[in-house]
Amino acid sequence: MSAVAIAPINTRGRQTWAWLRLAFCASMLAFVLLPLLWAVYLSFRPNVELMRHAPLKLTGPYTLDNYIELFRNATLFRWFFNSMVVSGASVAGVLVLSSLAGFAFGRLQFPGRNWLYALVLMGLAIPDQSVILTRHQIFSDLHWHNSYLALILPGLSAPLGVFLMTEAFRALPKSLEDAARLDGASTFSTFWHILLPQTVPALASLAIYTFLLSWNDYWWPLISATRPAMFTLTEGMAAAQSNYIEVTGMGVLTAQAVVAGLPVLIIYILFQKHIVGAVTGMVKL
Amino acid sequence: MPSAPALEFRNVAKVFDGLRLFDDLSFGIGKGEFFVILGPSGCGKTTLLRLIAGLESVDGGDILLHGAPIHNVAPGDRGVAMVFQDYALYPHMSVADNLAFGLRNARVPADEISRRINDAARALAIEPFLDRKPGKLSGGQQQRVALARALVRRPDLLLMDEPLSSLDPALRLRTRRELAHISKTLAATTVMVTHDQVEAMTLASRIMVMHEHRIQQIGTPLEIFMRPANVFVAQFVGATPMNVLAGNLRQTARGKAGFDLDGTLIATAIKHPGLPESPSWRLGLRAEDITLTAPDAGQIRATVGFVERLGEQSWVHVVLGDGREVVATQTGVSQYSDGDAVGLSFDGARAHLFDADGMAYHADVS
Repeated sequence: MSAVAIAPINTRGRQTWAWLRLAFCASMLAFVLLPLLWAVYLSFRPNVELMRHAPLKLTGPYTLDNYIELFRNATLFRWFFNSMVVSGASVAGVLVLSSLAGFAFGRLQFPGRNWLYALVLMGLAIPDQSVILTRHQIFSDLHWHNSYLALILPGLSAPLGVFLMTEAFRALPKSLEDAARLDGASTFSTFWHILLPQTVPALASLAIYTFLLSWNDYWWPLISATRPAMFTLTEGMAAAQSNYIEVTGMGVLTAQAVVAGLPVLIIYILFQKHIVGAVTGMVKL
Repeated sequence: MPSAPALEFRNVAKVFDGLRLFDDLSFGIGKGEFFVILGPSGCGKTTLLRLIAGLESVDGGDILLHGAPIHNVAPGDRGVAMVFQDYALYPHMSVADNLAFGLRNARVPADEISRRINDAARALAIEPFLDRKPGKLSGGQQQRVALARALVRRPDLLLMDEPLSSLDPALRLRTRRELAHISKTLAATTVMVTHDQVEAMTLASRIMVMHEHRIQQIGTPLEIFMRPANVFVAQFVGATPMNVLAGNLRQTARGKAGFDLDGTLIATAIKHPGLPESPSWRLGLRAEDITLTAPDAGQIRATVGFVERLGEQSWVHVVLGDGREVVATQTGVSQYSDGDAVGLSFDGARAHLFDADGMAYHADVS
C-alpha cells in the first residue's frame, strides 16, 4: 500500500496497462483457441444433431460414435502413417544434412567456402511457389511421384537449417576444437563427440520446426501424391471433406481434425521451451 | 642450458595475414624445465605455444622435440598436452570422461585409463567431482580438472596458456602455489605463457621475455630481475617499473661510470672502459634502490607527488626539480603527504645503464 501512497498515478497507470495487456492476450488466445475448442466440441456430438440446423444445447447429447466411425476407416490410419513417415524422415534428413553442412561452414576451412555459404543463404530468399512447377516437372520425368521419396526429398533442402547450424557451430569456442585435436580426435570425431553435443538446443529447435513444417505441409503432397494410398494426413482430410461431407458428416470430420492435430499438440506441450527458442532464435538472427 | 634440449626452436618463422609475426626465432628448453614465456598482451607468446602444440603451422625453420622435427606430426601424436586459458573442458562430459577422452583416442586399455584417472584425481584432489559435469564446478576446480586432463596423457611437454588468469586474486595465489608444488613433484617439462611477472618469477626455472614478437631475454628469474637485457625487460619485470632517467655519462676516478643527473653525480659500479659509444645514456634504478631522506640530507631535492600505500610497503612518487618523476620504496606505511619536500639518496652500486638503443649494462658480479 505504501507504494500507492508514494506514486499513486504511476501505479494506477501501470495497472491499467497490465489490464489492457491481459485483455489483448486473452482476446488473441480466444481467437486461436475457440475454433479448436469448437471442433473438439462438435466431434463429440451425434451427426444427426449437427445436421438439424437448430441451435445446439450444451447439455447434450454427447457421443463417441464419430471416433468409433473414424477408427473403423482404415484410410485415415494410412494417411496418419504416411505423414509420420514423411515428417520423421524429413526431420532426420534435415538434422543430418544441416549439422554436417553447419559444421563445415562454421568450423572448417576450404576453398570457396564463403561463396558456397552465400549460395545456400540465397536459398532462403526463394519461395517454394516459384520452383514448384519445375520441381513437379522433374519428379514427373523421373517417375518419382506417388512415392515417399517424392514427399520427403524437397523438404531436405533446408537453407534455414544450414544457417541455424552454421551459426550454432560458429558460436562455439575455438579452444574446444583445439583441445579435441590435442586429445588426438579426428575431424569427424571432433564433430561427433565434442562439438555436435554442444548444439543440441539448436538441433532441437530445428527438429521441431522441421516436423511442424512437414506435418502441416499441404501443397506439395497435393501435387505429388495423387493416389489416396500416398496421401498425407492434411491432404487426405481435405479430400475427405470435399468428397464425402454429406456421407460422413460434420462430426466425423471434426473428429478427424482433432486426431490430426494431436501430434502437433503433444509436440507443443512437450517442447514448448524449444519452440519458443526456435522462434525467438530465428528472430534474433 | 641444464641438459640436452627437450624442445628446440631453430630459426622459426610464422606469417600471419601476410604479416611476418616471427622471424628467425631460436631457443631451447631443457628436460624437466619449467619454462615461462612472459610478455605483454599481443607479443606473440600464445602463438608460440600454438606452434609447439601444432595448432598453427610453422612457415619457416624447425621445431624439434627431443631432437626430431615435428611439423608432420599431428597435434595428438606429439606427446604434448595443453591447459587452455578458458580450460576448454568438454561441457557435456563428466570430469572422468573429460580425462578419458584423449586416452581412449590413443587406444589406452580401459584398466590403464581408470588407473591413470584415479592417480591424477588423487594428485589434484578432484576425486569427489569425477562424476560431475564441468559446469557444476568452481573456477579453481575446473582449473585442476584441466590440469588433470593434460597430465593423464603423460605428456613429454606440458603447455599452459595463462592457466591462472581466469581465477580471482585469492584463488590465483593459492593455485599458483599448488602449481609450483605439483610441477616440482612431477618434474614434467613445462612451457607456460603468462603476462603476469609474479607468476613468472615464482614458478619458472627460466623465463623468456617477449615483446613485439621478439625475444628480449632468456634467463633465470634472478638474472632477469638483476641483469635485465634491455630497458623493456627492466621496466616490465618488477613490482613497479624501474626508474629510467636520461642524463650524461662521466668517468669517475676509479674507472667506473658516473652518471650526471642535472649536476648531481651518481657513481655506479659499472666499468667505464667497457662501455660502447652511444649518443645518449639513461640510468636505471629500481624503486627499492632509492632512499628518501630529509630534504637536505640526500643527493638531490624533490617534492612528493603522491603516495601509494600497499601496507607492508609504500611507493612514493616524487617529482624532481625539472618535473621528471621517480618512484621510491619505503617500508611500512609512508607518513609523507603530497607536496612534502624530501631528499633522495641513490644506491649507485645497484644502478644499470642503458644506451641509446635500450641495451643494458650492469656492474660485474663480484
